[in-house]
Amino acid sequence: MHERTFRIIWIAITGFMIVFSPAENHAGCGEKTKFCIGLVTDVGVIDDKSFNQSSWEGVQQAKAELGAAIKYIETRDAKDYEQNIELFAENNYNVIVTVGFALGEATIRAAKKYQKIHFIGIDQFQGKPVKNLVGLVFREDIAGFKAGALAAMLSKTNIIAAVLATDMVPPVAAFNRGYEAGSRYINPDIKIISTFHPGGLDISFTDPEWGASTAGQAIDQGADVIFSAGGLTGNGGLIETATHKGKYCIGVDTDQWDTVPAARACLVSCAMKRISPSVIKLIKLAYKNQFPEGNYYGEVSLSSFHDFEGKIPQRIKNRLLEIDNNIQSGKIKIPDYE
Amino acid sequence: MIATIRSFIIPVGSVIFASLIGGIVLFLSGSDPIEAYAALLKGAFGSMTSITRTLVKATPLMMNGLAVAFAFKAGLFNIGTQGQFIFGAFAASVAGFFIQGVPPVFHIFLALIAGGIAGGVYGAFQGALKAYSGAHEVITGIMCNYIAINITDYLVNHPFRDTSPGNIVARTPLILETSYLPDIEGIPGGFLISLLSAVLVWWVLKHMVLGFEINTVGAGPDAARYSGMRVQRILLITMLISGTLAGLGGALEIQGVEHRFQPGFHTGLGFEGITIALLGRVHPFGIIPASVLIGAMKAGANMMQFSAGVESEIIDIIQALLLFFVTAEVFFKKMIPGMRWQKGEKLSLRAGWGGKV
Repeated sequence: MHERTFRIIWIAITGFMIVFSPAENHAGCGEKTKFCIGLVTDVGVIDDKSFNQSSWEGVQQAKAELGAAIKYIETRDAKDYEQNIELFAENNYNVIVTVGFALGEATIRAAKKYQKIHFIGIDQFQGKPVKNLVGLVFREDIAGFKAGALAAMLSKTNIIAAVLATDMVPPVAAFNRGYEAGSRYINPDIKIISTFHPGGLDISFTDPEWGASTAGQAIDQGADVIFSAGGLTGNGGLIETATHKGKYCIGVDTDQWDTVPAARACLVSCAMKRISPSVIKLIKLAYKNQFPEGNYYGEVSLSSFHDFEGKIPQRIKNRLLEIDNNIQSGKIKIPDYE
Repeated sequence: MIATIRSFIIPVGSVIFASLIGGIVLFLSGSDPIEAYAALLKGAFGSMTSITRTLVKATPLMMNGLAVAFAFKAGLFNIGTQGQFIFGAFAASVAGFFIQGVPPVFHIFLALIAGGIAGGVYGAFQGALKAYSGAHEVITGIMCNYIAINITDYLVNHPFRDTSPGNIVARTPLILETSYLPDIEGIPGGFLISLLSAVLVWWVLKHMVLGFEINTVGAGPDAARYSGMRVQRILLITMLISGTLAGLGGALEIQGVEHRFQPGFHTGLGFEGITIALLGRVHPFGIIPASVLIGAMKAGANMMQFSAGVESEIIDIIQALLLFFVTAEVFFKKMIPGMRWQKGEKLSLRAGWGGKV
């Protein structure tokens, strides 16, 4: 080989090395005047139209209201949870939000290590409370119950379906239990086709094709309302249902009217976990040094009916309100959450 | 010597070109490429802990890269490394928490052996399908990956589920500390074992009769058969060893990093072995730097996001560009003056998979 070529490459490499000398540009957090909030996502992107996104929206609102400095890290590998949290902790962030139950253990470890920092673990149920850590959790069974009641009232065939991610994830299973209980509360004889994704944690939330084909099969079997829960898999089920005329679908977690426009033709409502308002509330408590510990139950509710507002009879709306009140007053008992 | 230098040009050139184009992408997306790469380097090599992290990330990549490369030598495309890796990891974690009361060092090796055997048997199964029924290893490999994922998902959710109070997810109990791989002078034990594996693979391919037979089968199965080699047996053994390497990689990951088997921890590691094998020019000693490089990118990505505010997807772009340049060598032939190939030096994907070490 020509010596000249080799030399050119060599110079290029050394040039790179010189240019890339480390630079420090991160400072200011930890001082009294500055309030810093960091967010670590679960494996996935920040604009996932689901948990990561709604949590980040809560943090952004904190920026607007409290003038906080905010930053997020997208986790690329489940082994990096701890390291990503530490990046914020070592730089003296005041609040660290970790999104998703998979980060639960790493968050607990970090909270014990950095006791001055307030941690908010979204979807992380706390068995043993840690002083500076609060788990923001939701009663998926209640959310599912409301969705099930709505589905049963809308169904004309008396067959409804649920398309779900893996039942290895407790919230998914709770959604389904609530859904079944809620629809039977309206109509004890209703037929429910619930299908969990057969794959594991690695695939069951990211398989829209499976979601679509499962929703299609349920419709073939006569289902006319489809409850679709589980990340991208669920979105696949919603979008498929939208292609069948006269069928309804119910989304989950966030208001998917905004996040999955392709499903608008069928999307009558969503069983929402109100993440953003709960996140901002907890951040404000941390700001005022009134941070709670243990578990904080965020609000769950059905989203607005959007285009279906005029098509849903007042009788159904009244019944839903009545169910809401009865759940709150304890008249309807929704038994489970581990 | 000249040939050795030459074999470096494509990988090194690929890294440079991929970084340059990645830099342009960074610039276009509104970040400062120099700041971003500086943060990447700092996150990967900036301190002893970050170097350790880089080596930890490089370990499974190296094992899977070796597994893929070893099979390439016999002309086999072992895309089933993912499944072999998973079974290896699972077997090691079961050995890690089931076997009790053995001395620490002994326990480490028991778990490693369990992982190696599990991966090896599964690899040999795919090898047997290829050798005795002619089923293409790519098809069976992909299917076997699904089988491995789903069987282990079931096993950790039911018979081997962690029953400790407060646990709500599917995973095995923690393995016992006696089976943890130690760090030696800050260098993860798993990385040392993978280095050792690279040397062993090189030695087998270069100095053993088996290696000669594997290379011959890779270069031309018909010629190998004509000269009296038992091609079917060699294919089977190749897949056995390749699977053992991948399974051992899974065991290292469990004993060194994870300390328990949890579904989903393995996302894509097996497939990245293919990138590593190609980037390392299907040579054991090329695979070592290749895996450290990709490991460094993974380890530094977080820092890059944190201090330079760069989207982590840029790492995927650089990796994809890398693979593109490594495989598109025509590009270099045209771009770099004085790069003319001698006969037989080229790594074309078919001949290269079975090429000489």
